[in-house]
Amino acid sequence: MVQLVPTLLRQELARLAEEDARIDGRGRWDSRGFNLETDCLYNAEGSAKVVLGGTVVYAGVKFELRTPWPDRPTQGSLMCGAELRPVAGRKYEPGPPSPQSIELGRVVDRGIRESGCIDMESLCIVPGEKVWGVMIDIHVMSDQGNIFDACGLAAIAALRTAVVPAERFDVGEDHVLGVKGTPIMASFTRVGGRFVYDATEQEELGGDERIHITLGDEGHLHSLQKGLKGAFTPAEFTEIFDVAQERCVELRKLVAEKEGN
Amino acid sequence: MMGGYGDVQLLNEDGSRLDGRKVDEMRPVSIEAGILPAADGSAMVTQGLNVAVAAVYGPMEAHPRKIQRQDRAVIDVRYNMAPFSTSDRIRPGFNRRSREISKVTAEALESVVLVERYPRSKIRVEIEILAAEAGTRCAGITAAAVALADAGIPMRDLIVGVASGKIEDTVVLDLDKAEDNYGQADLPVGILPNTGEIAFLQMDGDLSPDEYNLAMEYNFKAAKEIHEIMVDALQRRYQGGEA
Repeated sequence: MVQLVPTLLRQELARLAEEDARIDGRGRWDSRGFNLETDCLYNAEGSAKVVLGGTVVYAGVKFELRTPWPDRPTQGSLMCGAELRPVAGRKYEPGPPSPQSIELGRVVDRGIRESGCIDMESLCIVPGEKVWGVMIDIHVMSDQGNIFDACGLAAIAALRTAVVPAERFDVGEDHVLGVKGTPIMASFTRVGGRFVYDATEQEELGGDERIHITLGDEGHLHSLQKGLKGAFTPAEFTEIFDVAQERCVELRKLVAEKEGN
Repeated sequence: MMGGYGDVQLLNEDGSRLDGRKVDEMRPVSIEAGILPAADGSAMVTQGLNVAVAAVYGPMEAHPRKIQRQDRAVIDVRYNMAPFSTSDRIRPGFNRRSREISKVTAEALESVVLVERYPRSKIRVEIEILAAEAGTRCAGITAAAVALADAGIPMRDLIVGVASGKIEDTVVLDLDKAEDNYGQADLPVGILPNTGEIAFLQMDGDLSPDEYNLAMEYNFKAAKEIHEIMVDALQRRYQGGEA
């Protein structure tokens, strides 16, 4: 569906930005509040639901046995995909995976993969023959802005609570996956000329480019992505990077709480 | 889905089922309306271990124009199972099963929605199965009905999805996963409790005429119970608590 960007909305967002205000009354670096629930889907080996304002996403982890890649005989594999199905909003249409959903899945995938939180060697059962393939599927149910952060949080929370179903596949006893870190994504959108954290659907509609930053436990960068039309300055990045550090620490605590440790 | 029956015991010595239910007892059902803020109407139905979510968008302009009907709205249903909804992961995307279920579900909903009120428009119904343990098409129909009501779309009745079947030569209500896999028959229907009509009907397996009648009797009884839960969910949403 063609999305019209109302000029009036853009003007209003610009006016609010001059007063350092946001359309829903939040501060520039405030989130709408992340609501995280884990272990909520019966057939998934790990699962999580994230509600962020009017945004609702689920993530589920499944395992499969596969033969390793010939050049990495002792390593398992990880795949993270996102589906932006028509259920998520009026603007989404049926059909093959859209470039948007592929970008979303890949940005979340990179953050988790590159943080090294999963030891690929630990997914090996018989070198050269049998390894675990870990698949994280993200299902966006309702998009009212900032699906990236909601998906990133759901994916790592589902992964961290996953149990490897070894008994069902007849390769030993069930055990926890053992995820070593908690990479967290923080996303910023240019609204009314300046960046804000956790944009709503309206702010995204009347805004410009977005930047996604995934940080690991030590505050190191593991994934960056700039999306949509627009360009930013290094000074602007420095500003949002400092905010990202704070928000990621908070969300990492939230994930730890839900794991009960 | 059909397994060979006969080699798996599905009834206990006292005639109860493996999960302790009586033959005419359904799995616990809970329903919540208005759970997806982006949608015009939505609902989540939990039935046993099944989780079905429905979202409704519209009525909206029907496009492309060739799908428009001059005298009524078209209902566009997509039934989809999430990749993590089953024991073995499902590859994302449509398959023959989901296409067929989507088609007959759309036709069932067209029989209850007052489609003639919205000529040339489209109503989108998205059914997403998040956890599947047999009976998801019925849970999906129930969820769709509550979501349509939540969207304020006028209907002749609240259609209820229910199923009965046969295990070990015994007719039982609401098959679970094992009973579906190793049972002898499954009869999923969509019932309009107020008019007593049937707007959705499928069946597979083997049922005698008497068994069919008993299965249908169970279905109508269960539909009444689920209907009350559906009404309750809508009242909780729109009357702010107590009905």
